[in-house]
Amino acid sequence: MDFGYIQTILPALLQGTVQTLKIFVFTLLFSLPLGLPIAFGTMSRIAPIKLLSKAYVWVFRGTPLMLQIFFFYYYIPIFTPIKIDRLPAAVFTFVLNYAAYFAEIYRAGIQSVGRGQREAAKSLGFSYWQTMRMVVIPQAIRQIIPPVSNEVITLIKDTALVYVIGVPELMKAARDANNRDVNPMAYLIAAIIYLLLTFVFTLLSQWLEKRYSRHERTDAV
Amino acid sequence: MPILAINNVYKTFGGGVAALNNVSLQVKEGEAVAIIGSSGSGKSTLLRCVNNLERVTAGEIVIDGDVLVTTTPGGVVQYPPDKEIRRITTKTGMVFQHFNLFAHLTCLENITFAPIKILGQSRQQSLQKAHELLEVVGLSSKANNYPDQLSGGQQQRIAIARALAMDPQIMLFDEPTSALDPEITNEVTGVILKLVQQKITMLIVTHDMRFARSAATRLIYMDEGKIVEQGPPEQLFENPQSPRLKEFLSSYQ
Ligand SMILES: Nc1ncnc2c1ncn2[C@@H]1O[C@H](COP(=O)(O)OP(=O)(O)OP(=O)(O)O)[C@@H](O)[C@H]1O
Ligand SMILES: [Mg+2]
Repeated sequence: MDFGYIQTILPALLQGTVQTLKIFVFTLLFSLPLGLPIAFGTMSRIAPIKLLSKAYVWVFRGTPLMLQIFFFYYYIPIFTPIKIDRLPAAVFTFVLNYAAYFAEIYRAGIQSVGRGQREAAKSLGFSYWQTMRMVVIPQAIRQIIPPVSNEVITLIKDTALVYVIGVPELMKAARDANNRDVNPMAYLIAAIIYLLLTFVFTLLSQWLEKRYSRHERTDAV
Repeated sequence: MPILAINNVYKTFGGGVAALNNVSLQVKEGEAVAIIGSSGSGKSTLLRCVNNLERVTAGEIVIDGDVLVTTTPGGVVQYPPDKEIRRITTKTGMVFQHFNLFAHLTCLENITFAPIKILGQSRQQSLQKAHELLEVVGLSSKANNYPDQLSGGQQQRIAIARALAMDPQIMLFDEPTSALDPEITNEVTGVILKLVQQKITMLIVTHDMRFARSAATRLIYMDEGKIVEQGPPEQLFENPQSPRLKEFLSSYQ
């Protein structure tokens, strides 16, 4: 290992990591909540809302993320007066894309809560939204956490895709270093950084899963 | 004035199944009315209409003087706004065949949940009542357990306590013991019999003839969406009038 070389490329890679984390955090910040209204949309009894929500999910899950990144980056300035930078364009695309995935996960989680739970709540005087908020969603969360953590870990890796529009994140920093120095060491360091990030979020999701399974039978203590 | 008045109620499901076919029934305060009848005769549907888990196709239901639903002479079914419906149906307490306790809450929380969220009771007030009810159903020791940690009979007793915590005018039981092993049905029927003695008004759907006989002040036999026969339990069991009830009872000998 050439520690001297590692030291020269590390600052650029860490700067890239900061950008990667920015995309990651902002994407989750907006897509996690945005998935919820879309999920309810796909379950709506109002036909146009249901159709629109389903179409949304279909489009964003049915086309490559990379295509979506190009599309929004190049088309937003053409069709709207908005001049959008690389990073916000990337985050915007990720938010829309991940919201579609989260919506499907939420929908499945909500539908996994039995009808009996909703009927019991209704018979006690809870409205539809009270039932959702106080009975269904708290129980759905347990079902939702594992697939959501899967998506979150996928997102860490997906952020590498935005190098295609030149956002200076970790992947691009590694590529630049490799191309400049003809030395693949940067890729190895980048891989280690990605692994560390996914490791941290795996631990976090395991902790959450434990926390939300309190009401499960605990035979073996 | 009866606590519950069901007048000429019809319920037809999509596909044309007539689950209720002109049912009229009045329940007075302190009465324990048991409903028996073969599978598919409309017993559950009747309870579910009273509790607004199903909407009637025609007819009228009045609970404690409040009109849950009425039908104009022209055949238009009229329900009040949702909020009013919820206020009226909370006067009924429902106990389901499969308990339906809230899985994410402890037994104690299951009981205090609706009094706090719906009736706006203070935590302290609802807790005090919950502990009394836990004693009534004999499960004080399970207060902090989750439903999943209880046997079926215990869950059903908690479900009864949960419904009673709302101080309903009338309790509705839909086959409260059908999902239980025969040897533990007694722990649930025992609690219900205690409530009968306390003159709590109730409507009980059951396939347990012995229980119907010992609990009911009045027995109703339903078949194909209609009330075919009713009266004191001894009378129906010992001297059934209609051939269908005779046949039904003989299948239980
Ligand atoms: N949601 C529904 N959709 C369509 N048909 C239904 C529905 N619920 C009940 N039915 C039909 O209505 C009729 C009465 O059903 P109900 O559940 O009230 O019978 P029940 O007397 O409670 O029977 P059991 O003793 O088996 O519980 C049956 O023919 C049933 O198939
Ligand atoms: Mg039934």
